[in-house]
Amino acid sequence: MGTLATFRVNPTESAPSDQELIARTLGGDGGAFGILVDRFQRKIYRVAYAIVRDDIEADTITQDTFIQAYTHLARFQGRSELETWLTRIAINRSRDWLRRRKFVSLFSNDSENEDRAEYVIEPVDDRPDAERLLMSHQLRAAILRAERLLSSQQKIIFRLRHYENHSLEEIAELLGLRSGTVRAHLFRAIHKVRKELAEWVTEREEVPDETL
Amino acid sequence: MKHYSEADLLDTYYTQPGESMPVMMHLASCHDCAARYERLERKLRDAAVCNTEKPATFWTRQRLQIMRRADAQHAHAVSASRFLRVAAAAILAFFLGGAVVYETIQPAPQPVPVAAKAAPATAATPAVNDLHDAWQSDELKDFHNVVEWEAWVPDNKPIANEASSL
Repeated sequence: MGTLATFRVNPTESAPSDQELIARTLGGDGGAFGILVDRFQRKIYRVAYAIVRDDIEADTITQDTFIQAYTHLARFQGRSELETWLTRIAINRSRDWLRRRKFVSLFSNDSENEDRAEYVIEPVDDRPDAERLLMSHQLRAAILRAERLLSSQQKIIFRLRHYENHSLEEIAELLGLRSGTVRAHLFRAIHKVRKELAEWVTEREEVPDETL
Repeated sequence: MKHYSEADLLDTYYTQPGESMPVMMHLASCHDCAARYERLERKLRDAAVCNTEKPATFWTRQRLQIMRRADAQHAHAVSASRFLRVAAAAILAFFLGGAVVYETIQPAPQPVPVAAKAAPATAATPAVNDLHDAWQSDELKDFHNVVEWEAWVPDNKPIANEASSL
């Protein structure tokens, strides 16, 4: 038995914990930080994309998030999960981008470009159902139009709820807000967008269910 | 039976469904509203699908870029801290050297001459004071009255004659 035990694979060696990788990174092991990047880059990219809705910007925000985390890694005290910390950084950077974009849009008329971007056909899922794909794409465009009525904070909360399907408690933790505050923001956001969305859904109620 | 509108069903979908207990209880008993809620839920979920699936090369490229930037950041931080250390050492050496030099070459305080204090007006012409005044000598001090008297003699009279007449 003792001989077998020496050949047993240590689970901490095969999958080092976040804390271990952080300690190794702080000790100068660049490879450990590479493992952390590989572990969380997809999640961070998805969150950034859910908020900014732009491939290139989501890529940039993902990179900036990891660089900021690398720079301030010594300050990470482990009170929350590393994933939560990284997600918070990504959300803050995405919020900054939304504000910058809103500021820039005051001086430039890029709403036409936004409209065009909304109608770029993207594959929704693997099922070859063209009509369903088109409808979901139209609804997505309607949601994007309706989101223009929202403030940056409302937009972030709505998008985290809509695209990432986070619960209100999770959103509250990510944004550092109280759950009641998030609920109030989301409630106001839904009341701003629901008129357009409800009309859109109602107008298409006549579509047979098989096409949905 | 009251049916819920699409707007109400949207509220239920986005706020946690479990929190809308009256709506959920109604959906459990009303097949029409339940079917509409199911369609609405499916549509919104389809519309919420994010196409973030990327090829492996995308993630590899992104990771490499992050690592490259992290390396550059690390090198920059190291060089910046080294520069700060060198600058601090240079400033410290400058001040310490200055203090040592000051202590080394500082002149000793010179005593102030008494004569200069007593007669500051004549201090500017020390060469004149240093001349020997013959009239102040001990040999001629008895003749001071004569000299003072002679000083009253008008200039047009020859002094030699006056003295010979005395």
